[in-house]
Amino acid sequence: MKPWTCLALACALLGSTNAKSASGDRVLVLVPKVESAKHYSKFLGSLETRGFEVSIRAASNTSVALQIDGERAFDHAVLLAPAAKKFGDGLGPLDFTRFVDDGGNMVVAASSELSDFHRKLAAQFGVVFEPRSTWAIDHANYMKQNNASDHKVVAASNFAPAPAILSPGFAGTLAKNQQKPAVYFKGIAHKYDVANPQLVPLLTGAITTYSGKDKGEKPIENANAPLNGKSLGLVSVFQTRSNARVAFAGSTAMFSDALLSKRGGDNQRFVEDVAKWTMQEKSVLRETGHRHHLSETGEQPSHYRVSNEIVYEIDLSVYRDDAWHPYVADDVQFEAIMLDPYIRTTLNRTDSTLSASETATYHGDIKLPDRYGTFTFRVNYKRTGYSNVDVKDTVAIWPLRHDGYPRFLSAAYPYYTGSFVMVIGFLALCAVWLFSDEPENTEKAAAAASKEKSKAKNKAKNKSS
Amino acid sequence: MAYKVFGLTASDQTSLLRIAILGLISIVAVGSRLYSVIRFESVIHEFDPWFNYRTTRYLVDNGFDKFWNWFDETAWYPLGRVVGGTLYPGIMVTSATIYNALHLVNIPVDIRNVCVFLAPAFSALTALATYQLGKEVKNATAGLLAAAFIGVAPGYISRSVAGSYDNEGIAIFLLVFTFFLWLRSVRLGSALYGALTAIFYFYMVSAWGGYVFIINLIPLHVFALLVMGRYSNRLYVAYSTFYVIGTLASMQIPFVGFQPTFTSEHMAALGTFGLIQLVAFASYVRTLVPSDQFRVLIRLSILGLFVVGFGGLVLLTMTKVIAPWTGRFYSLWDTAYAKVHIPIIASVSEHQPTAWPNFFFDLNMLIWLLPAGIYFSFRELSDNHVFLILYSLFAAYFAGVMVRLILTLTPIVCVMAGVAMANVFEIYLDFSKTKSKAEAVKAEDSVMEKKEREIQGELPAAKTIYETAGFKRFYALFPQIVVVANFLYFLCMFQLHCSWITSSAYSSPSVVLASRGPDGSHHIIDDFREAYYWLQMNTKPDAKVLSWWDYGYQLAGMADRTTLVDNNTWNNTHIATVGKILASDEDTAYELARHLDVDYVLVVFGGMLGYSGDDINKFLWMIRIAQGVYPDGFKEEDFYNAAGEYAIGDTASPTMRRSLMHKLCYYRFHEVMGPQGFDRVRKQKLPRDVTLDNFEEAYTTENWMVRIYRVKDLDNYGRSHHAASAFEGPRFKNDFVF
Repeated sequence: MKPWTCLALACALLGSTNAKSASGDRVLVLVPKVESAKHYSKFLGSLETRGFEVSIRAASNTSVALQIDGERAFDHAVLLAPAAKKFGDGLGPLDFTRFVDDGGNMVVAASSELSDFHRKLAAQFGVVFEPRSTWAIDHANYMKQNNASDHKVVAASNFAPAPAILSPGFAGTLAKNQQKPAVYFKGIAHKYDVANPQLVPLLTGAITTYSGKDKGEKPIENANAPLNGKSLGLVSVFQTRSNARVAFAGSTAMFSDALLSKRGGDNQRFVEDVAKWTMQEKSVLRETGHRHHLSETGEQPSHYRVSNEIVYEIDLSVYRDDAWHPYVADDVQFEAIMLDPYIRTTLNRTDSTLSASETATYHGDIKLPDRYGTFTFRVNYKRTGYSNVDVKDTVAIWPLRHDGYPRFLSAAYPYYTGSFVMVIGFLALCAVWLFSDEPENTEKAAAAASKEKSKAKNKAKNKSS
Repeated sequence: MAYKVFGLTASDQTSLLRIAILGLISIVAVGSRLYSVIRFESVIHEFDPWFNYRTTRYLVDNGFDKFWNWFDETAWYPLGRVVGGTLYPGIMVTSATIYNALHLVNIPVDIRNVCVFLAPAFSALTALATYQLGKEVKNATAGLLAAAFIGVAPGYISRSVAGSYDNEGIAIFLLVFTFFLWLRSVRLGSALYGALTAIFYFYMVSAWGGYVFIINLIPLHVFALLVMGRYSNRLYVAYSTFYVIGTLASMQIPFVGFQPTFTSEHMAALGTFGLIQLVAFASYVRTLVPSDQFRVLIRLSILGLFVVGFGGLVLLTMTKVIAPWTGRFYSLWDTAYAKVHIPIIASVSEHQPTAWPNFFFDLNMLIWLLPAGIYFSFRELSDNHVFLILYSLFAAYFAGVMVRLILTLTPIVCVMAGVAMANVFEIYLDFSKTKSKAEAVKAEDSVMEKKEREIQGELPAAKTIYETAGFKRFYALFPQIVVVANFLYFLCMFQLHCSWITSSAYSSPSVVLASRGPDGSHHIIDDFREAYYWLQMNTKPDAKVLSWWDYGYQLAGMADRTTLVDNNTWNNTHIATVGKILASDEDTAYELARHLDVDYVLVVFGGMLGYSGDDINKFLWMIRIAQGVYPDGFKEEDFYNAAGEYAIGDTASPTMRRSLMHKLCYYRFHEVMGPQGFDRVRKQKLPRDVTLDNFEEAYTTENWMVRIYRVKDLDNYGRSHHAASAFEGPRFKNDFVF
């Protein structure tokens, strides 16, 4: 996470002390008409009690703006008007994706009567809603209370194993004789892009769930296999690369007071989980700091040398229950990459001495590769439901200095000896050559010397005369 | 009869004149290299000089120790470059020394100006060195002529104009001076001069890869002398001193390292060193055992040793004990080698074989004086002349193979021309003989006249004009005047030619271009610096810019940004990867570019101005180089259209149209050139709609010569950029709706 993001988060925290969200407390709720908001009074009320500042606007209200002077006007948007073709003063899908790009979160509720606006918007996130006037239908799992025979109210219980998003009752294995949780869902199904890891199909159909037209009790005949089972999405959530969150629910009814309070259903809890996750009230992961330095000296040089031993540390904290807590995991990995990863290792959590600490520190003792170049130190931590943490440092690894190599090699001692013997031998030879007279030449030399002497004498004589 | 002028004797006058002439030659040599500074500005030229300039600045700022151990992580991203160990530090150290010396005496000169004016300054030194060389092999006249020639010869000016801050700028001086010292040490048999040769050889090694020429030519000279039976103790002393000191010294340059002991390029020197020891030993033995057969035996054994040594060398090379010749050297033997095996060498224009007109263009009349000089050398054929002949032959051959090697040919051509011309002038400027001859004729005439008068006893007949003494004197002088006048004319023409070539062909910085409008007005085209400056001001300091390798050094020097490849073409694979990115379709290119962390892509496009050295014209080489490393899925033929033409626009082949290079060059170009627009380089119609999704235009310079694109970040929602663009619609339509 970039420092400025942290800063923004910190500011948001300071600015809204009682809000539970890590990213802000202004919620825009768009409903077909202002009066229709009363159908969702429980859901909206729970938002308000959690400290959000909820603004309810009609879809057709032209004064609605997502941006004011280039700044986001809201932190979260809840779209409960599936039939609306546009919002405000001609706000199109592009304005909403820009809102998300800007860091806004969004809950989009759909229904059988879904406008092109919603289809176009959802398609950008890999969510493709079924055609108009189709319903998710299940003849085996439906709401059976009060002699209701509406098979369109599916009692869905196929939850994605995403403990970061759903509370423990939904995800994970159930305790014995615990009733399987079910969410009442009345609305439209969607296909979801399985190839995109950013999209999590939170609630999918059971094997008996299918998407079809409503023909009373009669199941429709369809030559083409209808969308059904696991590939039929009911509620999907999406996290962008910039950690904004978007939830798509095929049913506005599941948020309504009617279904929220139905006994035997777990809508209350499920909807709260989805809203909490989407509005950044939980599973918000952040990196509060990271550093690396030489093991020996503990200082961080401008560049390392090959095969240096270093320590890499990263601090992670997670936001939940209105506060930052240390993030505990055993799968935080560090990579040193130059075109390919040269090192990939798991970091260990350092036991914090401060029990009240907000962050957990992970560290690794790393021996750098014996290869020089520009490396990228990276912690790329992406786990379902948690915010992405992708920390990159570009670090140069230099080769050894010209005098950084071992000076004397034991293997080379014969050569050292050889060269020194050579030098001494040469000097000795020169000395012998210079200071010894050859015996047969001595006479000659003596003669020459005497000649020279006499010459010099003569010269001297001449001069003096 | 010596006339005293200003109280100076004749010999003093001569030396004064000589000094004055050399001074004038130096002034002309420096002056004729300053066109570029006067026309443009004091700016570093071309490509390689930018690297030298950047490293010099680093040296001046950080000191020698840091420079020596410098690892440049901003070049060849992410591999990096061990700069200290992969360059010839001579030129940087020279400039830094000059800079520090000037600052020591409180002359606050800018390092850029030291770099810009280094090559012209050294050209004056080259002229002096050439004078010494000419004097060494012939006499002062030859030396002065040779100095005058090298001062202005375009073959040398092409690499040493002001701003051309390249290794060759100082290396030619070192080459000439080393050879001069070598010849003197051979003539005198002096260990001192041998050691001096070695020291200058070391300087040369530190300055330019062309030192290999010296370390092969000198052994060749020695070998030739040995085979000619001219072994002498002088030769032994000179070569042994030179080789031992020179080789040990050259190994101190990290880039050379242990190469003198194991690469083929240096084996000849080592072999000759061994040989001369044997010959020395043999000749010592011979003084003890004199015999006529011995001489024959020695010659035979030298030849035998040569054959054995050469055979051993071949064997060792084949078994890879000795490193084989590098590709650049192979292309010296077989000009087609590089084209087939190493496209990266063939792609450089200065590695092409020389065209005939180039010789005349660069050397003018000197080129036909070269054979004359060789002829005169053969007439004397001292040890020195053997060297001159060998140098001429080899340099002439190499100059014919590679355009840039005209540079090594130029000094010897100048010396040989100086020798030839000195011989001519020696004969035709010597008026003393003619004068005495004319006087003799005159005397003869008067005697004859007297005789005639005596015989005929009458008044002398009216003489025809042919019989006057004045005419006869003129007649005797006539051939001399014709020849001398002719040569003077040639010399003047030579000077004119050189100035014209220098001003018209070799004084463009290529960083800044000049053009002339139809009305004769002068325009400066400064797109390159505009683009680099934009990058420097508008991108993150650690942004990685991808461009073809030609622009790597300039990007690093002017924009100060990280580059992927540059003109130090040490890693063919990395260059091929860049070539692949530019030649692939948008999606493949995007994936590769993201993998290499590329932030910006820079292309040079000449379609607007008609600048023919642009990337589209270089594109075939990029494809060839990429194809060499990534053979699968890459075919040069795919880039030619059905008619077999290398076309652009709508007539181009689909692969060409899909390629990133084509897209980056022509993106939105039709908007400025109109629906009937033409590419002014290719003279072809422009493509109509070029779409670009994965990259976005960041900057295009005034004349569209440099276009910079930003590599988009991954989509926030994991879509493909095509899908994202389709959703967002035409950007401009969306932005300007009110």
